[in-house]
Amino acid sequence: MQVLIAQIINGLSLGSIYVLLVTGFNLLLLVAMIIHFSYPQVVVFSMYITWVVLQLTGNNVLLGVLAGVGSSILLNLISAPLFQKVMKNRGEVDINSTMVLSLAMGMIITDVLSHSFNRGLPIAFPDQISQSTPVLRIGLITILSGQVWSLGVGVVAVTGFFLLLYKTRAGRAFRAIAEDPSGARLVGIPLLKTGLESYALTGVLGGIIALLLATLLGSASPGLGEQVALKVLAVSIIAGLGHLAGGLVVGLLLGILEAVAQGYISGTWSNVIAFVVMLGVILMKPSGLFGTKL
Amino acid sequence: MQNDSKVPLLAVEDISVSYGQVKAVKQASLAVFPGEIVVLIGANGAGKTTLLETILGINTPISGSIRFMGKDITGNPADRNVRAGLCLAPEGRGVFASMSVLDNLLLGAHHNMRNVGKNLRRVYDWFPILEQRKDQIARTLSGGERQMLAIGRALMSAPRLVMVDEPSLGLAPIVVNDIFNILSMLNREGYTMLLSEQNAYKALQCAHRGYVLGTGSVSLSGTAQQLLNDPGVREAYLGA
Repeated sequence: MQVLIAQIINGLSLGSIYVLLVTGFNLLLLVAMIIHFSYPQVVVFSMYITWVVLQLTGNNVLLGVLAGVGSSILLNLISAPLFQKVMKNRGEVDINSTMVLSLAMGMIITDVLSHSFNRGLPIAFPDQISQSTPVLRIGLITILSGQVWSLGVGVVAVTGFFLLLYKTRAGRAFRAIAEDPSGARLVGIPLLKTGLESYALTGVLGGIIALLLATLLGSASPGLGEQVALKVLAVSIIAGLGHLAGGLVVGLLLGILEAVAQGYISGTWSNVIAFVVMLGVILMKPSGLFGTKL
Repeated sequence: MQNDSKVPLLAVEDISVSYGQVKAVKQASLAVFPGEIVVLIGANGAGKTTLLETILGINTPISGSIRFMGKDITGNPADRNVRAGLCLAPEGRGVFASMSVLDNLLLGAHHNMRNVGKNLRRVYDWFPILEQRKDQIARTLSGGERQMLAIGRALMSAPRLVMVDEPSLGLAPIVVNDIFNILSMLNREGYTMLLSEQNAYKALQCAHRGYVLGTGSVSLSGTAQQLLNDPGVREAYLGA
């Protein structure tokens, strides 16, 4: 029972990271009309930037966090004109071309990380970020302060993000375009500008996710982005491509499933178990649990 | 007020719109004066929706000009025209079906959030059913309620000209009466309107003037009474 509770707490922090990634992916898909498979790679890039700044500043956490968020926004600003070129021709250009752009970005980032940072070896975050002070010890279970932090920040970030989507003017415009782009034009919502706004928002979000991942995992490697990207894609398809609320539910469930598998079976099998369960779900419901929006 | 009515609020001159090779609108001209209800009558596929959407800025005309409140707005994007005071209520199915009634109304106020509380109150006063159903998902509304929502949403932008596309489409006769009563009431409240309709009889009873659109071009225009008495209109659109 203790293991279960501890792993559920772990799972919720991991799950909230999946939720943020999936929601960002869905938002780009529906509002900006970008298939951004490599969004997780962008996030991992920000983790590396955070790490570099921590090394350079003698572990100044504030500067590290700012650099992580800043690099995510900057990377978005640099790539936005490329996507924008494709978005402008929306209707004439196949949305698939954005996918090629995104895949290329992901590969470049992964290669740059493995060539130019820490000789390609995994990086470890200092204790100020990963926070491995035990705060609670019950029997064999130890809950670290980093886990508490990432759960707290994750819950706040997910809540804030969904409040933005469902309670603000910008969020309403995002959802309107997601449901019906031509209907959104009729009420006077500018498609291109709003698409770019959603792209900027996922940049900020990416920085927050990078921080959460660094806190939860305590380390990163060049291949991390690809690994996470596969899961994010799987979660969004299982929830129903583009279904925001569905992504919330399935993201959290996957996090818990993985954590519980790690707690009871073996950490190395948790990916296999997660993908087998997802395979089962997709065989039963090919259009996703909540129905696709595309 | 008298002087005002001499200058058209909206003046469309000789506009043509094409989709690829197909010309959907051919050199159509029309004018709407402040305080009027003007109706565009035409069969399915005559180009009514295309013409309204072109005025709003969804389509760009290949020739001709559109003037709104004295300014040339030809080719301006829709969001700019909405901010300037144009709006279009699409036919009833054009609301955001998976969003709540309140969200739909607030989307209408996308460019006019400053007076949102006041405008919402006014729309709820005109359409009490929308206030009762404000947290419901739009998909669950009846056809008439959806049409009211489409009109209410358009009013949330505090428009100077309200365009309504096919207000009676797919509605039961008794509901059609309600909708036209509401449109007349809104006109008395001061809204200038441009409607499109296949249901010529109902629309002409409610309107001041009308234009008959036949396969993309204006074939006839006049006061509502003239059109109601016109033998051609009677035969083609009134079933008499």
